[in-house]
Amino acid sequence: MSIFEYNGSAVVAMVGKNCFAIASDRRLGVQLQTIATDFKRISKIHDRVFIGLSGLATDVQTLYQRLVFRHKLYQLREERDMKPETFASLVSAILYEKRFGPYLCQPVIAGLGDDDKPFICTMDSIGAKELAKDFVVSGTASESLYGACEAMYKPDMEAEELFETISQALLSSVDRDCLSGWGGHVYVVTPTEVKERILKGRMD
Amino acid sequence: MSRRYDSRTTIFSPEGRLYQVEYAMEAIGNAGSAIGILSKDGVVLIGEKKVTSKLLQTSTSAEKMYKIDDHVACAVAGIMSDANILINTARVQAQRYTFMYQEPMPVEQLVQSLCDTKQGYTQFGGLRPFGVSFLFAGWDKNFGFQLYMSDPSGNYGGWKAAAIGANNQAAQSILKQDYKDDGTREEAVQLALKVLSKTMDSTSLTSEKLELSEVYLTPSGTVKYHVHSPDSLSKLLVKHGVTQPAAESS
Repeated sequence: MSIFEYNGSAVVAMVGKNCFAIASDRRLGVQLQTIATDFKRISKIHDRVFIGLSGLATDVQTLYQRLVFRHKLYQLREERDMKPETFASLVSAILYEKRFGPYLCQPVIAGLGDDDKPFICTMDSIGAKELAKDFVVSGTASESLYGACEAMYKPDMEAEELFETISQALLSSVDRDCLSGWGGHVYVVTPTEVKERILKGRMD
Repeated sequence: MSRRYDSRTTIFSPEGRLYQVEYAMEAIGNAGSAIGILSKDGVVLIGEKKVTSKLLQTSTSAEKMYKIDDHVACAVAGIMSDANILINTARVQAQRYTFMYQEPMPVEQLVQSLCDTKQGYTQFGGLRPFGVSFLFAGWDKNFGFQLYMSDPSGNYGGWKAAAIGANNQAAQSILKQDYKDDGTREEAVQLALKVLSKTMDSTSLTSEKLELSEVYLTPSGTVKYHVHSPDSLSKLLVKHGVTQPAAESS
């Protein structure tokens, strides 16, 4: 079993009309055993940028803490929040620093840029950025997620419809993956508010 | 007098003094003043901007007050370029602590850590000390609101009210007389404005020459560092009756 599959994870982000949604599963496992059903994979960097991290749980937590460190200093020095594109470049640089002993995570970054334009991207564990206009996925359930998103996604969805779509895509994909699931955690972010919702799916 | 012992920071004079450190404090005595006052629901920092010219590009960033972390801010007096280095150091130290312990750095530990850096420049390396004094204002869950003053020697102390920069002795003596324990933040602001208006060299007090900030707890329990806008400052100056030019107030 690969080290990326040790804890199990599923993260997906989608672009809507002047909004974005980012969702993850909630299972934390140690190979086949489930340890926790409320593991937080998605974290807020600031009101308009979120990062979801899949992969080895310890690296998920440590990488997030390092990113908070860097972002806080950026905020203090530049007296403004980081743009999502800039943040993605920062994550990519931090991951590449550990090129020969990497963090075993695959981040999914989602944010609202200038003019409230949604931005999403993902990268591999050594920082290769992949920008997309529609959706990005990562984790042990990524193959199912690709299929589900491709089938269910359509452009320019409003916040409520986007929530329904991303939730269905997440739940149907994690149901096909034994290492991820136990519910879902969805954030839908518009220029005016951040809506956080917990999904109840198959609890296995 | 003791000119032979001036040039190296790392040696004592025969009288047991560190001249470079004292000269650094001289430099600060010529810089714009800053005052900090502790109240039971917050800490107030006020600073005097020494250079005000029409030609200066107005920027939103402050000149005397800086945020170190969400729960700590500081006011500076002295050489600004030295201050920038130390502020950056303090910010990184605070983040390193948070990264390690996943909680905000206690205020005194932050001050101590920065003062340890300053002390290093008085004992080894052969580099001159930093020509900056700081007033740190912050809140932590162990000791609540705190105010600390630190100087180029690396010494620091916790204060109820303190002044640094030009005319700091005069300001300190007025504070000694007029400071009241358990005052509110509003009373602290009023006292700060009054003391600064009495000790400032310039003839009239306007919001362009001042910076005022407060560290307090919001109703939800988070620490907030708020810098007053020039408009808000002008209103406060009028409200507390300190805005008249020198001719009228005498």
